Order: sequence, then C-alpha cells, then structure tokens
Amino acid sequence: MAVSADVVPRRPTLLFIVVLGLLFVLMSLSSRTRYIGETRTMFERTVMTLFSPVPKLVNWVGRSASDTYHGYLDMRRAVNENLQLHREVAKLTTENLQLRQSEGDLKRLRSLLGYAEQLSTPTTMAYAIMLDTSGRFKSMILDRGSAAGIDVNDAVVNANGLIGRVVMTTKDMAKVQLLTDNNAAVGVLLERTRRQGILRGDGIGAAQLYDVPSLADVAPGDVVLTAGIDGIYPKGIPIGNVVKADKGADLFKHIVVKPSVDFGAIEEVIVLHTRKIPHDVVRYAP
Amino acid sequence: MRWLRFLIGLLIALTLHSLLDSFFPNALAFFNPYVILVVYYSMGGNLVGAIFAGIAAGLVQDAYSMSIFGLHAFALTVCAYAVAYVNSRLMLRGTLAFGACLVGAVIVNELVIFVLVNILLRQRIEMFEQGMVVKTIFTCLFGMLVYQLLTLFLREEPIEATRRPAGW
Repeated sequence: MAVSADVVPRRPTLLFIVVLGLLFVLMSLSSRTRYIGETRTMFERTVMTLFSPVPKLVNWVGRSASDTYHGYLDMRRAVNENLQLHREVAKLTTENLQLRQSEGDLKRLRSLLGYAEQLSTPTTMAYAIMLDTSGRFKSMILDRGSAAGIDVNDAVVNANGLIGRVVMTTKDMAKVQLLTDNNAAVGVLLERTRRQGILRGDGIGAAQLYDVPSLADVAPGDVVLTAGIDGIYPKGIPIGNVVKADKGADLFKHIVVKPSVDFGAIEEVIVLHTRKIPHDVVRYAP
Repeated sequence: MRWLRFLIGLLIALTLHSLLDSFFPNALAFFNPYVILVVYYSMGGNLVGAIFAGIAAGLVQDAYSMSIFGLHAFALTVCAYAVAYVNSRLMLRGTLAFGACLVGAVIVNELVIFVLVNILLRQRIEMFEQGMVVKTIFTCLFGMLVYQLLTLFLREEPIEATRRPAGW
C-alpha cells in the first residue's frame, strides 16, 4: 500500500513529537533515579563514556599548561630570588670587607695608641694622605699641620718604628721626609753593642749605616735604634735591622739596614713634638 | 559532510564546556556553545537532521552537567526544530540572520528549561530573567563571531542549505 503524499512532509513533525515524548520519559526516569541515590542512568553513562576522551584531553592539556605556566613562574621567581641573593651577597661581602677594614684599623690604632702612651713627649696623631715613595725623594703628606701643633723637625713614627721627620708645615698639612730618602740622616746606635753611627737613606727603600769602624761588632739581625744625638729624634725609637755588614773599602764597615716600617703601607702616624735645640746653641762655638 | 562538521562542532563545544568548567566554573551560566552548534546546523533547513542534532548535542550537554538527563536534549531539540522550520520557509542567511536565530533559540531554550524544571522538579530557577538576558547576549555575540570567522575561513556561506521538499 502506497503512502499517501501528504504523510511524507509530516514525518519530521511526528518524529519531533515522538522524540520529545521519549526525552520526556527519559527525564522523568532520570529525575526519579536521582531521588533513590542512583545519580546516573546507564544511558547517561554510555554517553559520558563515549565522549570522555574530550574532557580528559582538555583536563590533561589544562593541567599541563597550568604546570608549565607555574613552572615558568617558579623559574622566574627563582631567577629573581637568585638575583636578589646575588645582590645580598655582594652587599654582605662589601660589609664584610668594611668590617675587616675596620677591624684592621682598630688593631693598628690600638697598637699605635699603646706605642704613643709609652712615649714621654707630646704627640699628635695624623693620617698619611699622600705618599710618594716611587721617586728619588721619598716623602709623605700628613692631614694635620701647624694648627695641630706640628712643627718642622718633629719626628714621625708609627707602631713599627721611625718613619721620618717633618720638613714643612702649613696650617692643616705637613710634609714628611721619609727615612729612606736619599738626603735623610739619623744618628743611630746598635741595640746589642751600643755602637753609634749615622744612618742615611739610600733612595731605593733601604738605608745604610755609616761611620761604624771596621773592627766594630756588627752582625746581620742587629736591631738599630735612634741614638738621640742629632737633636731631632728622641732616643730609642726602633729603625730596623742590619741585613748586611761587610768590611768596607776603607776604615768603616759597609752596613745595610732594612727599615722596620713598611713605607708602602703607612696609614696612621704619630708625630712626636720633640724638644728642639735652639739654633743659637747649635751654632755656638766656644 | 554536514554530519562530520556537526561532530567536529560537538567536540569543540564539549571542549569549550570542559575548559569553561575547569577555569571559569560559572561561565556556562552566561554562555551556551551547544545552542550555537545546533542553530548553525539547523539553519540548513533539514528538519530531521536538526532534530537529531538537537538530541545529540543536548545529551552530551546533559551527560556533562548535573541537570536531569534529557533536559537539555529536550530544549535543544525544540530549538533545533524551530530554527530548521523557520529556515525551511525563509532561507535566512548571513551573520545577522544567524544572530537573530541565536537570540530566538537561546530564549526558547531557556524558557523550555524553565518550564521543565518547574514541572519535573517543582523548583524555581533563581534570577531566571537576568540569566536569560545575559546568556542571550553573550551566546549571540560569540556565535556571530564564530559565524563570521567561518565565513572568512571557508570563503563561502558556511550553511549548506537543504532543498525544501515539495509541499512544505
């Protein structure tokens, strides 16, 4: 039996109605099973299983992206933290250096102060602000001058020994001739034998002891002190040690003395306000 | 070919659904990708195909949401049928027409759900009107954007029209 022509176009409508009916039944069943604790019908589970790869894939991609993103953030944080720690280390290193410097300063100043207390003459502490030991004329500029009581011919020492003497002053600065200068001369004596002589700078960082007879007892290692006979330096200031004592070409020995002061590393000094011999007394001849 | 496109669209909609669920849990209250898919398919004017598209898309949406199973299938089938019916008569084409169909479909979809929830669960949907307005706007805008992109990408009208049978 042939289907009448007007039924064909109505089929979608019928199908629509049937589908809606079935869906309504499905909804009713679903809403009922919810109340008895069975939250998913078998049909629902089938649909879920069928399409489950999609949410799983999305979840995996999302989690991976999230992990990557957080990994990147963690890395950035670590990099920033690393930079910060580097800065912190640099800062602490600088602080450490400063503290070590301060500790060194403190030690030096303590020893200098202790040494200054042993001296009977009035003293002034000063800092070397310029040091010229490279040329032939060895000199040093101090940061204090006549305003602080520093005068020409004042002796300059540090905890290690004699440095030189003041040769010029301004109000707030003083120029010092170092012991190693070619024109510097000091009356000295050997601590062990009390033999006296004249010490002159050799202009290259050491000094030579003159006027010591060739028969005198001098040996390397002997300590050399100021003799206090030149009217400038007080007696007993350490100068250095004999490093070489040869028989000279004439009647005197050839003696080389190594100063106990490291002239390349002078920072703080003590200026001794020594008692000057009046010029008239020096020039008086009976 | 149309079914393949639909299947791909369904997978994309489900992907969007999963993504939004994962990252913006409330986003699906303002936006429904399944309606866009169903309207896109139904605008071809094939009534039977539209019914099955509505059922398939709705069941997938139901399976991955906590509503009554079949609720969205029912609502989307109604939308699909309505859109297909209108298009079998008027042959609407273009982004604006697609947007207009989306507006109608979202409103019908929401109304059907509202009625069914009232009947089956005897519950009221909170802030139904506001939710419907927002969902209509966002779904329509997003749908039109997708339609425009498809037009640019395919370089032709993305909807393949079904020849209207004689007697309709």
